[in-house]
Order: sequence, then structure tokens, then C-alpha cells
Amino acid sequence: MFKNINYWYLSSIIVSLLVALPILTVFASFFGTTSEYYELLRGTFLITYISNSIIILFGVLFPTFIFGVLSAYFVSFYNFPGVNFFKWALILSFAVPAYIYAYSLTAFFENFGSLFALLKWIFGEGDYNKYIPKFDGMMGAIISMSFSLFGYVYVLTRASFYHQSHNLIEVSKNLGFSAKESFFKIILPSARPAIVASLSLVAMECLADFGTVSFFSVSTLTTGIYNSWLSYDDLNTANQLSFILLLVILTLFFTENYSRGGAKYHQPSRGFRKIPKIDLQGTKSFFPIAFCSLLFFFSFIFPTTQMAYWSFKFPKYFQDIDLLSLNLNTLFLVLVASLVLISFSFLINYGNRVSKSKLLNYLSLFSISGYAIPGIILAVAFITFFSWLSEFLTLNFGFISIKRLFIGSILGLVLAYFIRFYSLAFNGIKSSYLKINQSIDESSYLLGYTKFRTFRKIHLPYLKDSVFLISVLIALEIIKELPITLILRPFNFDTFATKAYGYASQDLLEAAALPSLFLIFWAGLFIFFTSKYILSDK
Amino acid sequence: MYNNFLEIQNTTFVASKLNKVLDFNLTIKNEGDIICLLGPSGIGKTTILRSIAGLQNIPKGSISLKGKTLSSENEHVEPEKRNIALSFQDNSLFPHYTILDNINFGAKRNRNSKYNFEAKELIKVLHLNGLEEKFPHQVSAGEAQRVSLARSLMSKPDLLLLDEPFSNIDESLKVELQLNIKKILKTNKITTIMVTHDSYEAFYMADYCGIILSQTMKQYDTPYNIHHYPNSIEVVNFLNKGILVDAKVLDDSSVEHECLGIIKGDFVKKYPKGTAVKLLVQPEDLEHDDKSKLQLKIIDRKFRGTNFIYTLKTKNNDLIPVFVHSHHIHQHEIEENFGIKTPIYIDHLVCF
Repeated sequence: MFKNINYWYLSSIIVSLLVALPILTVFASFFGTTSEYYELLRGTFLITYISNSIIILFGVLFPTFIFGVLSAYFVSFYNFPGVNFFKWALILSFAVPAYIYAYSLTAFFENFGSLFALLKWIFGEGDYNKYIPKFDGMMGAIISMSFSLFGYVYVLTRASFYHQSHNLIEVSKNLGFSAKESFFKIILPSARPAIVASLSLVAMECLADFGTVSFFSVSTLTTGIYNSWLSYDDLNTANQLSFILLLVILTLFFTENYSRGGAKYHQPSRGFRKIPKIDLQGTKSFFPIAFCSLLFFFSFIFPTTQMAYWSFKFPKYFQDIDLLSLNLNTLFLVLVASLVLISFSFLINYGNRVSKSKLLNYLSLFSISGYAIPGIILAVAFITFFSWLSEFLTLNFGFISIKRLFIGSILGLVLAYFIRFYSLAFNGIKSSYLKINQSIDESSYLLGYTKFRTFRKIHLPYLKDSVFLISVLIALEIIKELPITLILRPFNFDTFATKAYGYASQDLLEAAALPSLFLIFWAGLFIFFTSKYILSDK
Repeated sequence: MYNNFLEIQNTTFVASKLNKVLDFNLTIKNEGDIICLLGPSGIGKTTILRSIAGLQNIPKGSISLKGKTLSSENEHVEPEKRNIALSFQDNSLFPHYTILDNINFGAKRNRNSKYNFEAKELIKVLHLNGLEEKFPHQVSAGEAQRVSLARSLMSKPDLLLLDEPFSNIDESLKVELQLNIKKILKTNKITTIMVTHDSYEAFYMADYCGIILSQTMKQYDTPYNIHHYPNSIEVVNFLNKGILVDAKVLDDSSVEHECLGIIKGDFVKKYPKGTAVKLLVQPEDLEHDDKSKLQLKIIDRKFRGTNFIYTLKTKNNDLIPVFVHSHHIHQHEIEENFGIKTPIYIDHLVCF
């Protein structure tokens, strides 16, 4: 029995250490030496990086708040034509990563772009370029991120509205509040924890974004990290920049966790009744319909159509791009990463369950912080650590270099995905496990079933739905993931995301369209499978 | 082979840091006996069952079944190897199996068992017909409890442990179920330890009852003896089936109470003449007699269906319960006087 427990501890410790690796590396590097580049940077660009990051942050928070809260309010409290469609359709925005939105935005508005072609088709030849607004740079980044991230606010706020006590709203009516007054005085304040949590998530994603700002050539902390690594080969500077970014992100991470706790607190456990929706007909329904339609159009239809249009306008890329290997690569990564993630999440969760050890529980809490770390920081820290480890082993023990084993290899890529998405898998399985009473396990033992057979006959079949769901969520994340894949992938190994990024950064947007379209297609498909869960009211 | 079917010796059971049962001894000589453990909630009854089942370790003592040690300080046979079934108080059904699959989940284990019943039969006597294809979340708490009981029985264990098996079950069904289950347990000689806080249930089901109070087993005896010969004030208070009044020992066969007068009977334990004792008076000990000179004031009347229990107040403020048949010719109202037949004779004088 004690032997078993030691295995649980061992695996828990290994996983926790692995996931904590980037944070530890970044913090350790803070005291390391840097090249002159850092001094140069500190004198000149550092302020720009930070201020650009902040401008984008606030630029994105405001529209995501408006888009997310208003749309959640409409679909939660009103009945209008198409409400059930919009409720679902608005989460499709998750299928379009901000960097792909950026490609579409540019493709549409650029000189001689899609809008130009459209105007020409309608009004004939003309010099339209000077009248077409250009959404690039900072503005482009803010627009792209706003439309691709507002979904977080929408989903969490909607869930919070759903749980709002019916009594509360009846009381406000009873006290003579108008719809507008109850919205501002009752509904909005009681959804505040959820809104704060979702905005923290948006802020984290926004600060972590690499693809969009890099495409629009906006210098932020993430591009700074990337450039110090790629252009100056200065890992320490990269890590010191990471340190600054990480401090901000971790603050947001804790805000988010704290607010989530608050959001739960606000949910009434008893006497819960569904809020009856108010029917809107005729002209009254115009505003919600218009708002939701426009939001759906801009967040999903517009980028998808633009990418589809260019894919078919430039059909030569159907031959140039090896679509089969892109699909297979993505599928392969998704399968391997999901398998590893789910196996370990099972192992650790099961270990926590049967050993009932408090220490193990704390360790596993420690190990779920990976999700907060921006992909770019994770990738750079990953390289830093394994370069150091390889050097250390070679110098001290005469090992041959193990660097190639982890950097630029599938193994390394999967390992980095593991760090990044472990909390997603772990928490998913944990919450399902919590639904199985301990006495259920014990009953099974008493009926003569061993621990292993209990796992096979009771746990596995019971958890199979959530395993499927988690795999799909992991797939969705991996398919959209850019910086980790970009930095750690093997030579000549591409996913849709890296392929599209590669073309886009060479100004070959027409070539980026096809992989982007595929990415949206797969991501959309995965969202379709998990929509019930994403919109679940728990 | 073995002397005693089950033997628990000097065992400590730990429910939590503050809540333990110490120096627990229990011997079940014969296979097929039904033992009930009675005690207030939170005393550690469930922990005892869990430890016997092997779900918890014991820090001290030993537990052996059929002569084989299952638990001691150094030994611990895993629960799946004990062939002991435990029916939990809370719902422990497997959520993704149907009721029938749940019942049959442990049935494969002991195919060649001497027990002679089948799932169908249990479903019938436990009133589970029509639920076979349903899932646990579709049945009521009482039904789930019966399914859990059926599942435990179907695993045909050497020892059956039941944790408050009737706690969620309707009054109307309870009596019938108790009857049916007792019949199954007795005909198949299934040794059972059952935990309950309902003394009537325990008295009906059990061959022997154990009373657990303040960390220890206070009394272990047949239900009749537990009721009539409680061995301590704590047990009297716990069972709450009578009250203790101050009295003085007169001679070998009588005591005197200030207000009730001389009470005759056989002492359970001898006391020297003149000793001040506390005498147990149970509702069935006193008899009603309208013509009696001994009249006490009624301060409460409980209608129990088949009987009334009047509470009478004596001059020295003792509150004495008296049992009267429901079809007694007339009822007495509160504040009225109530006659008690004298001289008073109580079969066994229980004094402390």
C-alpha cells in the first residue's frame, strides 16, 4: 500500500515541477546576466513595449465589455426572433483567433483588397484606395482582439445572468424599477464577479497575444520577447521581459480565480427558478436583433467569408500548400497531446482520490498555473531551461547534448503543450471526479472489485463523456495555438496556425487564407461539439 | 475450525481526532446472528462498520472473521478480499448503471454460496419492481437505499453490515421491510451487524444489541435485557424509556418513594437497607386505578395510537410516565388527577 502511495507522490511531484518549470526559469533568469542589448532596450524600447501593451489592453477591454455584456443581457432576458440562434452563434467567435482576424481585416481593407474589389464591382473603375480606411497597427490589433475575445465575457456573463435569482428581479420590479434601472442597479452588480473574471481572462489573452501584434508590427512585451530571442539570441533579456509580463499576468490570474469564487458565492443554491424572458416583437426587437446580427457578422461571418473568398480567388495554393500533411500534423499533435494530458490528469486525480493526501492536493494546485503563462514566455523559458540542462549535463557528466531532444522536436512540443494545457485537462477531470461519491468507490471494493477494476468499471465509463469533452477543448486550443508551435516545432513541421503565420509575415495574405480557412473550419467544428458545454449553465 | 464467527478485541476506532470508540469488544458466536449497534449520532457507529469492512485502519486491537485476522495494528486485509458487504446510509449506487445492473454488480463473486435467493426475489420483497431499467438519479432516496441493500445481499457476503438501512424509508413500508429482511437474513443465516439510532428497530431486528455511549460500548445484551435491565444511568437516559426517581431501600424486596409509597419487587442488584438509590420507573410499571387513594396531577398526555402515555407530577416534582391502553374506558384531561393502583409492584427493581 505504501509503495503505491509513493508512486502517486512521485508522479504528482514530477508533473508539478514540469508545469512550474517556465515560472521557475523566468524567475531564476531575472538574476542572470544579459547582453548589452538589454541596456539598450531599457534606455529606448522598454517604455514603448510596456505602454503599447497597456494601450492595447484598455483598448480591448472596453469593447469586449460592451459586446459581451450587452449580448449576454439580450439573449438571457429577452425573446426576440433568432434569439436561440444567436445564443449559440456568438460563441463561434472562438473559432477565429485574433491573428486570423487580423489577416482578414487587412485583406479586406488594404490597397486593392477585397473592399476595393467590391467597390469596383459595384461602381466600376475608380481610385477608391484613398477613401478606404486602413485598420492596421494599433487600431487593427485592438479591433481583431476585441472581436475574437469578447466571447469570454459573453459566455461567463450569460452563465451568471442565468443563475441570477428570479426573486431579485421580481423584487426590483416590485419596487418600481424600470427595465433600465433594474439592469444597472440589480442585474449588472450581481453579475460583477463573473464580468471581472471574464475581463481578467480577456486581459490575460490580450497581453499574451503574439500573432496579432507581430502581424501588425506593434512592439509590445510579447514581440519584444520574441525579438530578443530570435534577432539577438539573448535568452536572458527575453526572460527578463517575461518576468515583467508574468507579474502582470499572474496578478490577473489571481483576480480571475478570486472573482470566480465570488461568482459561485452569488449563485443561489435553492429555490432556483428560470428567469421568464420578456417577449420583444416588432420594432422593439429591432435593436437586439441588429446588435446580435452585427456582432455575429463581424466576429465570425466577416473573417470566414474573407478567408473563403481569397482561398477560392487564388486556387493555386490548393496545389502549393500540402493540405494533407497540415491536417495530419494537426491531428497528430492533437491526438498525442490529448492522450498524454488526459492520461496524466487521470493518474494524478486518481492518486489524489485514493491516497486522500492533503500534500498531493496542494501539489496539484500548484501545477495548474501553467494556463496563465503566455505561450511565448513558456516557449522561451522552455528553451532556456533545456539549453541550461543540456549544458549542465554535458559539462558535469559528459552527456551528449540533449538539447535537440527537446528543442525543435515533437517531444518538446508535446511537453510544452502539456505545461500549457495541463490545468484544462486536470480541472476537467477533477470536476467530474468530484461528482462520484467516495462511498461509490468503497461499495465497489466491498463487492469484491480491486482498485484497478473499480477504475475500469466505475470511473472510466462514468467519466468518458467529460474525457471526450476535454479532448475536444484541448484540440481547439492546440489548433489555435501559435507562439509555442512556432518556436518549438521541428524544422519544416507546420500546423495551420504556423503556415498561415508564415505566409502572413511574408505579406502573402492570399496564401495565408487557405490554412486560415481550414483552421476556422476545424475550430468551428470543435466548438460545435462542445457548444452544449461552453453554454452550459453551470 | 474457529471458536467465534466474529471477534473484535480491545479495538480502537478512530472517526476523527476528537471522536473515537475505545476498547471495543464484540464477539459473535453463531453464524446468522443479527447484532444492532445503538447510539446517538456522531458517536462513531459508522466508523465501526467502516473499519470492520476494511475501509479504515484500526490503530489498536484486532478484528477477525471465521478465525482469520482481518485487521490489527500490523495487518490489514484489503476490503475487496474480505467478503464483507456494507450498505451505506447515503446513496452509493453506481450512477451510470441501471438499478438491475447495480443489484447484480457484486453477484458474480460468490456463485457457489450457500445463500439461496436471486435478484428477482429481492426486487420483489424490497418493493423495487418496475425500477429495474431506471438509473439511480431517477429513483427516490428510500428506493436507492433498498437497491443498495439488495446489492449488498446479492454479493452473498460472510458478514453483512447495514448502516441505518431504513433511515430514508416511509414508515408504512418500514415495518414490512424489516419483517422481510429479517426473514431473509434468518433463513439464509446471514450474520449481520446493523447500526441504527431507532431502538424499536433494534429491538425488533436484533438477537443482541450493543449500546455505544461516550466512546465505549456501555452494554451488550439481548433486546429484552437492554430494555428491562439497563446497566447504567447513561443507558437509561439514552433509551429514554423511563425515569429515575429518588427512593430508599427498605428491605430485600422493597423500596420507598416519598410520594408513591412502598414499591415491592425483585432487586436486580442487592443494596443494604437504608441506601438512597435512584429507581427506574418505566411507563409499563404503574397501573391506572380510578378508585386508588394515590392520585397525581396529569401534566401531559401523549396519544400513541395503541396507547396513551400520561405524564404525572409528584409532590417532589418527579415526572412519572404511565402507560394506558388506548381503549381505556375514559380519557383524563391535563390538570386532572389520575389514580395509581397501590400497592405498587414492579417485576424487577432496577436501582443505581
